[in-house]
Amino acid sequence: MSENLIAIPKLGVGLAYQPALRPFLETRGDTFDYLEVVPDILWTDLGSDKTPRYIDDKDGIDFLRRVADGRPVVPHGIGLSIGTAHRFNRGQLDQIEKWHGWFQFPWHSDHLAWNLAEHGVDELNAGVTLPLPRDQETLDALAPRVAEVRRRLPVPFLLENNVYFFSMPGEEMSDAEFLNALCEQTGCGLLLDLHNVYCNARNHRTDPYRLLGELDLRNVVEIHVAGGMEHEGWYLDAHSGPLPEPVWELLRWCLPRCPNLGGVTFEMMGSWFVDMGSDRLVQELFALREAWQRWQPVPMHLAEVAA
Amino acid sequence: MSAAAFQALFARLVIDPEFRDDVRQRGAAALDADLTDLESERLLFVSGDPGMDVTRTLHKGFRLSKLMGQLPLTCAALGKEALAREVAEFWRRNPPVSFYYLAEAVAFCDFLAARLEEGMEAPTPYLGEVAAWERAGLELQRPRPEGEAPPLQVVEFTHDPLPLLAALGRGEPPEPTERPCLMIGGYDGGKVEWRLAEDAPAV
Repeated sequence: MSENLIAIPKLGVGLAYQPALRPFLETRGDTFDYLEVVPDILWTDLGSDKTPRYIDDKDGIDFLRRVADGRPVVPHGIGLSIGTAHRFNRGQLDQIEKWHGWFQFPWHSDHLAWNLAEHGVDELNAGVTLPLPRDQETLDALAPRVAEVRRRLPVPFLLENNVYFFSMPGEEMSDAEFLNALCEQTGCGLLLDLHNVYCNARNHRTDPYRLLGELDLRNVVEIHVAGGMEHEGWYLDAHSGPLPEPVWELLRWCLPRCPNLGGVTFEMMGSWFVDMGSDRLVQELFALREAWQRWQPVPMHLAEVAA
Repeated sequence: MSAAAFQALFARLVIDPEFRDDVRQRGAAALDADLTDLESERLLFVSGDPGMDVTRTLHKGFRLSKLMGQLPLTCAALGKEALAREVAEFWRRNPPVSFYYLAEAVAFCDFLAARLEEGMEAPTPYLGEVAAWERAGLELQRPRPEGEAPPLQVVEFTHDPLPLLAALGRGEPPEPTERPCLMIGGYDGGKVEWRLAEDAPAV
């Protein structure tokens, strides 16, 4: 476990920002303790050959400042593509550094995945987070990149466990072994997405509690929860509404066992807000806060976890 | 850099169904790159895994939702069948290169304009002008460096644009009436503003 995870502030329950949630955020500031934001949606990357390369959405950033009203704004990027082999997206890091100057967030995160790949003179963007093989070669490639992120930003950097729909031959580690080794070898923290854990367990018929039981939960700084949906026999991480009961059960299991947890964030795609409705969202966020207050900020003692 | 070649082919399996089918059929012969044995084995395995199909569905769904979100009236004017056909052809020629889909939506409008020019059978007589109008709106909203103003947009209509666009916006089939005119768009006070002109503007 990295030393810098010990001083994580206990923020509480966060809501993931979506433009469709703006009216809700303006009127129901009582429902969240922090805002999580995919910062990439509040800038436009014109490409590395353009100057300036990034155009910031100043209205969007002003909106965040206003509705956060002094509460933390935590970036959760999608553009780093930390597992991409052919280059490291340092432009994204420049942007996150700028955001740290603006928001002084207590941690930041991205996905343990890749979406950018070489393509002739151009670059493909798959638009979905693709899984990395769970092996030492992957960890060796990630280590210097995580080190660079940690050098440049003075707050913990978390990577989120991914959803995957297939495994690859020759993988050397289980999910838990890979995530533990990642944190141990690189010093990053873990953003544990419990809905992703649930998706993978359901699609691949594995036991999510086995994974969680083998995971070093001292590395978990943030938890994501969400709802999903069935599609042609697959369960998708669609962020399409309230938490299904099995995800609530996973959360109740994890909350007392994560001593360095800083917050639980509810994620929902803006397009599903109309279906879910404001009242149901309030209900979900208050239920999460109740669970948070029951188990945090006084987590179970490490000795009890070990037992 | 075989890891980079591995990922390039992996991404193509997600994005390009013809390539995926080719790998399924021809096996390692379709993987024209300097790969390790394990990388080849992994690509061959995932190309045939049902999980690759759902990954592709998610990729397509995300990309299509971005296009439909930026060009709702053009998509309505195309109709379901022509939309599926034209999008498939556009994607075949234009792999996804950015997370920012405004440029892709503009390129799709240009693609449709070229297809109409080539004699594509348009599903509706007003497709070209609706696509040109939405393209102009995107140009006006395109993020620009501070101090750079978007250029004035002029769109030529042969059908009365106001009832036409309103009906499409409501999801109703328009009953277009002929009315040659221009729509002139500008960006003022953070908003796109349009005005109708019967004649060409003095530029």
